[in-house]
Amino acid sequence: MEIAEKASSGVSTVSVRASADSPAARRQRRERRRAYFLLAPGVLWMVLFMVVPMIMVVYVSFWTQTTFAIHPTITTDSWVRFLTSSTYLTSTWTTIRIWAIVLVATLVIGYPVALFIGLLVRNTTVQTTLLILCIIPFWTSFLIRIIAWRPMLGTQGAINTILLDLHLIDHPLRFLLFSEFSVLVGMTQIYCVFMVGPITFMLSRIDPSIIEAARDLGAGFWRIFWKIILPLSLPGVMVGSIFVSVMVLGEFATAASLSGRKVNLLGNIIVTQVGSLKWAFASVAGVVLTIIIVVVITALLRVVNIRKEV
Amino acid sequence: MEARALKSALGVYCGVFLLFLYGPMVILAILSFQGPNGGPQFPIVQWSTYWYRHLLELTPGSRVSYLPVGDSLLRSLALAVMTTIVSTVLGVITGEAFRTRFKGSGPVFYLIILGMMVPGVLVGLGMALVANMIGIDRTWWGTAFVLHVVYTYPFAFLVMLAIFNRFDRSVEEASLSLGVSPAQTFRRVTFPMIFPGVLSAMLFAFTLSYDEFARTLFTSGRELTLPLAIYGTFSVEIYPNIFAFGVLTTLFSFTLLGIYALLMLRAVSRQRSFKGQEEEA
Repeated sequence: MEIAEKASSGVSTVSVRASADSPAARRQRRERRRAYFLLAPGVLWMVLFMVVPMIMVVYVSFWTQTTFAIHPTITTDSWVRFLTSSTYLTSTWTTIRIWAIVLVATLVIGYPVALFIGLLVRNTTVQTTLLILCIIPFWTSFLIRIIAWRPMLGTQGAINTILLDLHLIDHPLRFLLFSEFSVLVGMTQIYCVFMVGPITFMLSRIDPSIIEAARDLGAGFWRIFWKIILPLSLPGVMVGSIFVSVMVLGEFATAASLSGRKVNLLGNIIVTQVGSLKWAFASVAGVVLTIIIVVVITALLRVVNIRKEV
Repeated sequence: MEARALKSALGVYCGVFLLFLYGPMVILAILSFQGPNGGPQFPIVQWSTYWYRHLLELTPGSRVSYLPVGDSLLRSLALAVMTTIVSTVLGVITGEAFRTRFKGSGPVFYLIILGMMVPGVLVGLGMALVANMIGIDRTWWGTAFVLHVVYTYPFAFLVMLAIFNRFDRSVEEASLSLGVSPAQTFRRVTFPMIFPGVLSAMLFAFTLSYDEFARTLFTSGRELTLPLAIYGTFSVEIYPNIFAFGVLTTLFSFTLLGIYALLMLRAVSRQRSFKGQEEEA
C-alpha cells in the first residue's frame, strides 16, 4: 500500500517535472509572468490610494483628539464619545432609516418601469430608446440635479404653484422642501435608475416562450409574476439594491442641499467634523459607516442565497 | 386582453416616471431665464438671459456675487483629462492581464471593483489623513487626482474586460506568427478591435471625474474644482445663476456625448467596411 503510494507520487512528480519543462508549460509560465507584470500598476494604485487610506481611517479613529489637532496616542475616547452621544446615535439611526426607505422606494417605483421596458416592450429600438431616456439625466451634474428640486418643491415652487392654481390647496405645502421628505424624493429620483437598469437587464433575458407556456397551461398574470418573473429577476434586484445601498449610505450632498440641516446623515457628520478639524471623530463616524455598509451588503447577498436554496 | 390592459397601464406609468426624472430639470431650465429681479422660483418676473450674462460676469453692479466658474472650470477639465488618460491606460493593461488565467484573479478583481463601491467621503477622509500624516499638501492635481483614478479605473477595467472577452486571441496570434512585431500587432490588430471599448472607457472616466465632488471635497485643498464651487453655494441662498450654469453644463455634456457617438459610428462603419472587403476577397 505504502509502496504503491510512494510509487504513484513518484510518478506524478516525474510527470509534473516533465510538463514543467514542456514548451507549452514554459509559455504558460511566461504568460502568467506577463499578466502579473501588467497587473502590478493597477493593484499598486488601488492598495496605495484606497486600501491604505481606509486602514488609516480605522487607525486614526483611535488617536487622541485635542481641540485643533490629533496625535497618535492610542485611546478609545472618540469612540466612547460617539457611542454615548444622542446626536450621533440619532444620525446613525437616520442614516439607516433613510437608506431603508429609499431602497424600498426605488424598488417599488423602479420595478414596474423595468417590467415595462424589459419584458413588455419587445421592440428593441423602443427598448433602447427608453433606456437611453433613463440614462440621459446622468449627464447632468449630480449637484445640479439635486438643486433642481428646490424650485420644484419650494413654497413658491412648481408643485405648490400648480396645486394652488387648481384650488386643491389654500396654502402652500410647507413640508415639501427642507424636510426629510425632500431628501427622500431627491435621493429616490437620482438613484432609481440604478435599480431600473439591472432589473431590466435580467427581465429582458427571460425567454418569452416560458411565459407563453405558463399562460397556455392556464396560469394567470399574478401567478406567472410570482412564480416566473420575480424569481428570475431577483439577481437584478440584488445588484440594483447593492448599488443603491452603497450610494445612499455614503450620501451627504442631498441632505446638505434639501433638508435645511434637519437631516444629518453619517456622511454629513464626517463633513462637519472635518470642517472643524476633528479628524479622529470624523474617522469614528467613517468606521461606523463602513461597518453599516458591510453589514447591509452581506445581508443583501444572504437574502438572495436563501431564496436560491428554497 | 388582461395583458394588453396591463401593458398600456405600465406604459402610462413609465411616462409618469420619465416626467419624475426630467421634471425638475425642465423647471430649472425655465427658471434660468428669470429676469434680473426675480428669485429662484415662480413666478417669472420677466423673461431674460440676464443670469447667463451674469455667469460670464457681463452684468456690472449686480446684487449677486459671481460664481467662481472660470478657474474652477479649467481645473475640473484638466483633472478630468488626467484622470481619463491614467484610468484608461490602467484599465486596458489590467483587462489585457485578465485574458490569461492566473492565481489570485478573484481577489484582484474584487480589489479593483471596490474602487467604484467605496463611498467617496470615506476614501476622501482617508486620503486627507494620509496626506496629513506624511506631511504633503492636499491638491486637486495630487491627492484628489489619485482618488479620481481609484473611482474611474474600475469602470474602464469592466468595459475593457467585456471587450476582451468578445474577441478571439487567435487573430493576434496569427499576426505574431506571420512575423509582425508585437508593437505593430498592437497598433494594427489589437487596438482597432478594442477601440470602441477604449472610447467608452474614456467617456466614463471623463464624465465621472468631471462631476465628482465627494472624493474631491477633503482632498483638493484651497483650489476648488467646479463641483466644489457649486457645492459651496448649497449653504447660502441660491440664485438663478446656478440654474443658468446647470443648463450650460448639461449642454456641454451633451456635446461631449455627441462627439462620442460620432467617433463610435465612424469606428463601427470602418470595421464594417473592413469586413466587407474581407468578404469580397
